[in-house]
Formats: sequence, structure tokens, C-alpha cells
Amino acid sequence: MPLRRVLVVALALALPACAGGPGGFGGFGYYSLVRPNRVIEVGNGSMAVVAPREWNRASRSSFSGIGAVEDWTLNGPYLDNVSFVSGLPNDKRLIRQEYKADRQVPRFRSTMTAPEIAGLLETLYRIEGGAIEWRMLSLAPRTFLGAPGFQYDYEHLDGDELWRKGRAVGAVIDGKLYLVQLDAARSHYYAAALPDFEAMVASARRRR
Amino acid sequence: MKALSRRSLLAGAGAATLFGSAAPARIPPAGISPLVGPGYRPVDADERGMWQQMARVEEEIAGSNLLVKDAALNAYLGSLIGKVGGPATRDLRIYLARIPEFNAMMFPTGMAVVFTGLLLRMRDEAQLAGVLAHEASHFLLKHQIRQWRDMRRKTDVLSFASMLGGVVGGAAGYYTGNLDQLAQLGTILTLFRYNRQLESEADALGIKLIAGAGYAPISMAETWEQLTGEIELSAAVRRKRPDRGYSIFATHPAPRERMIDLRASAAELAIPGRSYDRGRERYLSAIAAIRPTLLDDQVKLNDAGASQYVIQTLAGDGWNGLLRFYEGESLRLRNTPGYDARAALSYAAAVAYPDAPADAWRWHGIALMKAGRGEESRAALRRYLSLAPTAPDAPFVRQMLAS
Repeated sequence: MPLRRVLVVALALALPACAGGPGGFGGFGYYSLVRPNRVIEVGNGSMAVVAPREWNRASRSSFSGIGAVEDWTLNGPYLDNVSFVSGLPNDKRLIRQEYKADRQVPRFRSTMTAPEIAGLLETLYRIEGGAIEWRMLSLAPRTFLGAPGFQYDYEHLDGDELWRKGRAVGAVIDGKLYLVQLDAARSHYYAAALPDFEAMVASARRRR
Repeated sequence: MKALSRRSLLAGAGAATLFGSAAPARIPPAGISPLVGPGYRPVDADERGMWQQMARVEEEIAGSNLLVKDAALNAYLGSLIGKVGGPATRDLRIYLARIPEFNAMMFPTGMAVVFTGLLLRMRDEAQLAGVLAHEASHFLLKHQIRQWRDMRRKTDVLSFASMLGGVVGGAAGYYTGNLDQLAQLGTILTLFRYNRQLESEADALGIKLIAGAGYAPISMAETWEQLTGEIELSAAVRRKRPDRGYSIFATHPAPRERMIDLRASAAELAIPGRSYDRGRERYLSAIAAIRPTLLDDQVKLNDAGASQYVIQTLAGDGWNGLLRFYEGESLRLRNTPGYDARAALSYAAAVAYPDAPADAWRWHGIALMKAGRGEESRAALRRYLSLAPTAPDAPFVRQMLAS
């Protein structure tokens, strides 16, 4: 999930690690290039999408990574981010969290309805993403991966005083959560990435 | 029994670290008075410099889009600090920031920032007046410049400006919502880590100010009692020590001792037989428009113990549909079958009140659906749609009804 606070920690650890090495930040291999018009397996490999142009795929760090969740960006995660959730099983979280954290991101449960999944995303952004204000723009039925799912549109004001906007398209299939989500700065970046996002959603297939 | 005793032992250990410093004796309210008069302006060079820096901070805060713009509510807060601001009544400004934390802070120039999380937790005007009077007293007693001079004696920081340019605020470990990104506020807050002496002074003058304005002096002790209770329950739910690094404790230490001292001061000030104003109705009507938002911001942080404590405390003055609904939301977010069942009961209770928000009907409907009570579920969802036909999720709810 594109959680900026988590990301800052990741960068803080990553930067010293690549100091002195060739290629600077990129040389550390935090991002790898996604080639356009090829079938790319995302997350744990149970979902594949085709990107219409080059994207940057974030490697999962071992401490915050969840196997079923993968993040891509065009201009850096502060500006735009696409997350893939490729079959999150029952009772698992979208993000790793300490048991004793005061604020708990709820676990996904197979019995969740779309309003509950929408609420789960909101809570995640409020707790770990610094969202101060959150507005649901729409929640409507939408077929995803051939299954009855939902499309959730929202926008949020974050602690960095920037409005961001997002769309999540998802479905619960065989008790697992499949989701593709765009979250980007509301001005310019959201609209700029939306056609790519829609193309990826349309191209999404389950694997295995 | 064993677990219980171990927990209480842990709670004791937490209390020791939080409140461990040797406390000076309580300052009787009768013995303390403001050090500044109306229209105070700094004269000394260091204080003038501090005010200049603060003017820049205020400019940034005033332009932040994290502020709550509600004109009537801002006017209400302004008038309230006017009632309890002593001689500085006309010199104090309040900014209301949308941050779901229990906190308020006074800057050396008379600018106060109040977090929305504070408004959520106050049960009446007297409690809020107590917090504002306490903060106003920091200004009236020139605490920041006194603290700054004290810090300079002990360290080699050259000037206030050089300190601002230095450390990054977050490093100090305060959690200030997200305002700490503004003008290095976090650094500035190191100035607000008042010592026990300054806090006692502000409590003594603050309680004197609210008593003078006709508010029940006991309300200040109640506020600290509520804060302590909330933090203890939050920690208990997570099975840990009640020691939160980012709470108001960072700037306002030792709540339990202060509670005791404030009770003693209240007893001194209260005139037997006099009936004191609580201003509960006035307060509730002032925050009515944003109260659902205040509850929503708190509950969605999913700090189960804190939310439970806050809702139950507010409900101490009477349950209503709004509080029952948010009780349900808090229970639902705990996300286990057992709590789902309890959440369902809260939603069912909420919709029985005339003031139940439309959202309560939706969640009531979803809870019934999951319990296999299809007909009742559809009735509740239909009620939701009739109350909120243009709700953003109406298309999805219509599909739930159709399937």
C-alpha cells in the first residue's frame, strides 16, 4: 500500500545503504522498470496485468512488505501510486503492523462487504497514511476479474496539506481480496494516471 | 487474578516513569497573578526575536488548509478565550486545527492552537474553558520566554532563530498530528515542554480565571481525569503500559498529581451554596455541526480503548443516536465475530433514536444481512436510501437490495 509514512522510513534505511555505490538511489534497486504491453505478474503472482506504458515497480522491503501487495509509481509515490492486491487471504492485513500499535489497521476478512472494504482502506490511510479528511465520492458495483465487485472513488486531505484522490476496483473471489488501486495527487496526477489505471484493471487476470 | 495483579503492577511502573519527577508543592490560586497587562508587547531583545519568529509561524498556521473554517465555531472559541483570558482577553487568538488528538498549545505571542480532538472530548463549556484558561495562563505568566531563558542558561544554543534552524521537530519525538510540518513547529514545541513548576502555575492561574468567570472550578480536574482514563483504557486494550510518547503528556506532564492538586484548588475556590455554570447546552450547540466529524475522525483511527472511553464518557451525559452509532463503528472496527455481534446491537440501538445518522441505517442493514435476517436488512437499507438518496454509495446499496 502506498503509505507515505512507511515509505519515508524505507528511504531513510535505503539511502545509507546505497551511499558510495554506483548509480545512487536507483543503483540500490528499490525500483525496477515495468515494460509496457507485456503480461506482468504482480503481488504473489496470482494476478497479472498489462501496463500501457513504462511504470516503476517498488521492490517489497522485507519488514513492511506483504506478499500479496505490490506498489507501482510513475512520478514517485508522493504524487502517484498504483497498488495491486493479488488475493489477500482471510484474516490478513494489507500492511504489517505491530501488535501493540495503539491504532490498529483492521485485517481483511472474507466475509467483508464492499462498504467494509472501503472502510478498511479509509482506516488504513487515516492510521498509516496521515489522512486528515476523507470523502467517499462513490461506491458502485463493478465487475472485476469476471466476478461481481465494486469501484470505490474517494479523495483525502493529508497531513502534508495536499489533496489526493483515489479509485479502487476490487472483488472478493474464493474468500480472497483482489484489488487494484490508484492513489494520486488530486491536481493533475490523478487524471494523468487514470487511463493507465483503467487499462491495467481491464487487463487484469487471475493466474494459477 | 495473577494477570490482573501483573497488569496493575505494569500500570504502576508506567505511572512512575511518567510522573516520576519530584513534584513541588501545589501553588494556591490565591497566590498567583498575571505578569502581563492588556496589549502586552515584548521589550527585551530576546523576547522580541522570539515574537518575530512566531509571527512567521502564525502566518503559516493561519494559511493552513488543516484549519477548521467554520466561522460560527471559531467565533465561539474566540469569545470563550475572551471570557477566561484575564487581562489578555483581546490579545489572544485561537486556531482550530483538524487533528484528532487531545491537545491545545499556547504560543508566546498569544496565539493558541486547539486540536479538534480536544473539542470531541470536552463534555461542556466549563471543561473547555478550563483548558483555554490554562493555556492563556502560560501567556499571562510569560512561560515561554522564562523557559527559553532557562534553557539558554543550561545549553549553548545561541539564539532562538538558530534553534529554529536546527533540529528537525520530529526528532524530539512529539506527535503533534501533522502540524509539525509547519514552520518546524515540532522544534518550537521543545519550548512548551513546561516543567512541573510552570504547569502548576498555569493550573493555579487557570482555575482562578475560570472560577472568576463563573465556571465550576472542578471542571479542570475532571478534564485530567478523563485524559488519564482514556490513556489507561487504550493501553489496557492493547495489553501494554499506559505510556504514549506522542500524547499531550509530552508537553503536559504528571496528570495524576495535577488532578489531585486541581481538586484541592477547586475546593479552595468553590463558594459553598453557589451554583456554577457548566454551559453544556451552549457547548453542544456550538459544536453540533462538527460533532459527527469529530467522532468519525476519532473512531476511524481504530484506537479501540480510547474510542470506547471517549464515547462512554460523553454518553455519561446521556446516550443518543449519534453516540450509539459511533459506539457501533468502534466495535465493528475491532474486527472479530464477537465484536461484530456487539456492533450490531449498537447499530440497532442507534436507529431507535430520532437523531440517528443515515449511516447508522446502512450499517444496521449490513449487520442484519450478515446475520441472515434478509427482510429486516432490506428494510433498513431502504430506510438508509430514503434518508440519503444521493449518498455516494447509494448505487452499491441499491445493488445489495436487488441481489
